[in-house]
Amino acid sequence: MDWRRVWAVARHEYTTNIQRAGFIIMTAIVPGLGILVLLIGTLLRSQTSRLGEALIRQLEIGEKPIGVVDYSGYFGSPMPEYAGEFIPLSSEAEGERALLEGRVASVLVIPEDYLETGEVVALSTGSFTSAVLSGSTRVHAFMVDHLLAGRVEPALRRRATDPLLIRTRILSGSGQAPAEGGWGFTFTFVIPYFLSIFLVLTVFSSSGYLLHSVAEEKESRVIEIVVSSVRTTELMVGKVLGLGALGLTRVLIWLGSTAGFGSGAVVLLAAAAGAAIPVRVLALGAVYYVLGYLLYGFLIAGVGALGTTMRESQQLAGIFSFFAAIPYMMSGFLFTIHNATLPRVLSYIPLTAPTMMMMRIPLGEVPLVDIVGSMVLLLLSLPVALWVGTRLFRVGLLIYGKRPTLREVWFIVRRG
Amino acid sequence: MIEVEGLVKRYGDFVAVDDLSFEVRQGEIFGLLGPNGAGKTTTIRVILDILQPDAGRVRVFGVAPSLAKDRVGYLPEERGLFRNLRVLDTLLYLAELKGRRRAWTRQRALALLQRVELEEWAKRKVRDLSRGMQQRLQLVASIVHDPALVFLDEPFQGQDPINVERMRTLISDLRREGKTIVLSSHQMNLVEALCDRIVLIDHGRAVLYGPLVEIKRRYAPNIVRVRASAIPDGIAGVVGVEGDGRPNGAFNLTLAEGYDPQMLLRALLDRGVSLEAFEVAPAPLADVFVAAVSRNAAASEGR
Repeated sequence: MDWRRVWAVARHEYTTNIQRAGFIIMTAIVPGLGILVLLIGTLLRSQTSRLGEALIRQLEIGEKPIGVVDYSGYFGSPMPEYAGEFIPLSSEAEGERALLEGRVASVLVIPEDYLETGEVVALSTGSFTSAVLSGSTRVHAFMVDHLLAGRVEPALRRRATDPLLIRTRILSGSGQAPAEGGWGFTFTFVIPYFLSIFLVLTVFSSSGYLLHSVAEEKESRVIEIVVSSVRTTELMVGKVLGLGALGLTRVLIWLGSTAGFGSGAVVLLAAAAGAAIPVRVLALGAVYYVLGYLLYGFLIAGVGALGTTMRESQQLAGIFSFFAAIPYMMSGFLFTIHNATLPRVLSYIPLTAPTMMMMRIPLGEVPLVDIVGSMVLLLLSLPVALWVGTRLFRVGLLIYGKRPTLREVWFIVRRG
Repeated sequence: MIEVEGLVKRYGDFVAVDDLSFEVRQGEIFGLLGPNGAGKTTTIRVILDILQPDAGRVRVFGVAPSLAKDRVGYLPEERGLFRNLRVLDTLLYLAELKGRRRAWTRQRALALLQRVELEEWAKRKVRDLSRGMQQRLQLVASIVHDPALVFLDEPFQGQDPINVERMRTLISDLRREGKTIVLSSHQMNLVEALCDRIVLIDHGRAVLYGPLVEIKRRYAPNIVRVRASAIPDGIAGVVGVEGDGRPNGAFNLTLAEGYDPQMLLRALLDRGVSLEAFEVAPAPLADVFVAAVSRNAAASEGR
């Protein structure tokens, strides 16, 4: 193989496709979302915007104290640990005044018969306050603490307000617990999970460009000149590498942009993704991206070349999308048991391994044997895919007008 | 420069090229002729290492075709270019595939574009060019890397008379520059005007091969053109006399089977005919083509 020619093909594919509108739009989506989040963040801080004010009122409950008008006798004197967060108010009228003057975020009016009914009136200037208050663990703790104060031991009172502190230990893995809480869950699970989906999408968008490139050169007949200059193996490897690099460029732009936004002042879900994703997920994701792309790339280029039009090529190459999509079909099941037998078996089958592993890894600890085993099998399958792909590619390139039958394809592969 | 010996290429049960042998010499324009489906394009594809032969031996510049790719240019019958690429970028890329550096190619590409009057289109996309312009660009693409050997498969197809003349001049120029050209075309008048030697293929086999002049003479339909005051009757070996009716005009004399022009010349001089001109009438290549293919078809049926 003449690598000078491979490089020429790879560079041509890269520079041609990076200018395509489809590539630019798809690549801009993630940074675009980041910019959108930043803009919303700026809007929230702008006191001149009515929308911003309304949103701030909804979200600032945690920053301003909550007024308490107590007629029940349980909550009149807030405990020292709640001082500043909850302030007693003498009457509903005073509560309304405090609310309108902006001294409190909202006011809880606790009636005389609270113990019997459990009903509390919430005064607010926004419409979502009741939902926020009823869902707030701090308000819940305030209520429980004051109801039980002096009636039970302090330790029991603390447990009643905060009965559940979950620390996860995954027995199949190293035992290292992921970070707790909502943000921890987001960073260790949600973002890596979506990143893995993006990586998988990138594998297939790159493969799509590959298919497009082969079909376009065939349809325009320029392929005849190209294959008179380079060997089919050089052409195929050049295309696969050039378009793989294109996919990697997209991934790097995504990661770079999310990390860039994350380092800014606004710490929001999408913006912080790059900084918070565990290195293990990123590194393994990159390896499976490369292996998966090469495997699908060689096969898709070969099979896609058999089509006589772009549409036909897509239909032929669709079989590989089906294999790659199997882990997605199982995603509901994977959320609960990502180390079950079926996902593990699919992790060892080269055609499903890349997507399956990309989905399993962010979901929790995956046995090392699965990672090593799937990578070894993927690596071993690559020369086979290159061999089959090249043979199909060579013959497919010069077939115009008629798609070969399965029997002919088998004949081609066997004879080389 | 090219040696083809006993070449065989099959597609399943169909034999596209059957025991074909010929050679192309340096600096000549070699005609690769034949009816549609005769196996010309398959032969070219094997020589260019696009297809692998089932049997036989092919050498280009004395080496295997796969090692000679950089020194060969190709204008395929199935035309096509990268429609969304700029004209100059197309030439730079195609030359790069042939191992030429971009800086080297740039100057030559611009000079060639100027030669085919496309220099102002260098920065435009290929899809913006008219069909005729694309044909010219395609020819430039086949020689931009300065190959020593150029294959031109139906270069005149679909061209208007002006472009045909332009193409013909360019091919002559290439020969003057010392390039070897393999020309495949159905335009027999142009083949006749350009080619030094030809091979005529039918059903994958060579039915005629050699210098064009010799082949045409070999196929001359036994007619000798003479200019004289009169042709006396009863000249040995002459079975037909056709004059143009003018005094000292031209006569076409048809010879009987077994007689050749030398025998006729002696007979005319023996009879005291005063000759102003004596010329063996060559057959038009189109007639040779039809005659050879028909004879081959008849022979095939006989087998």
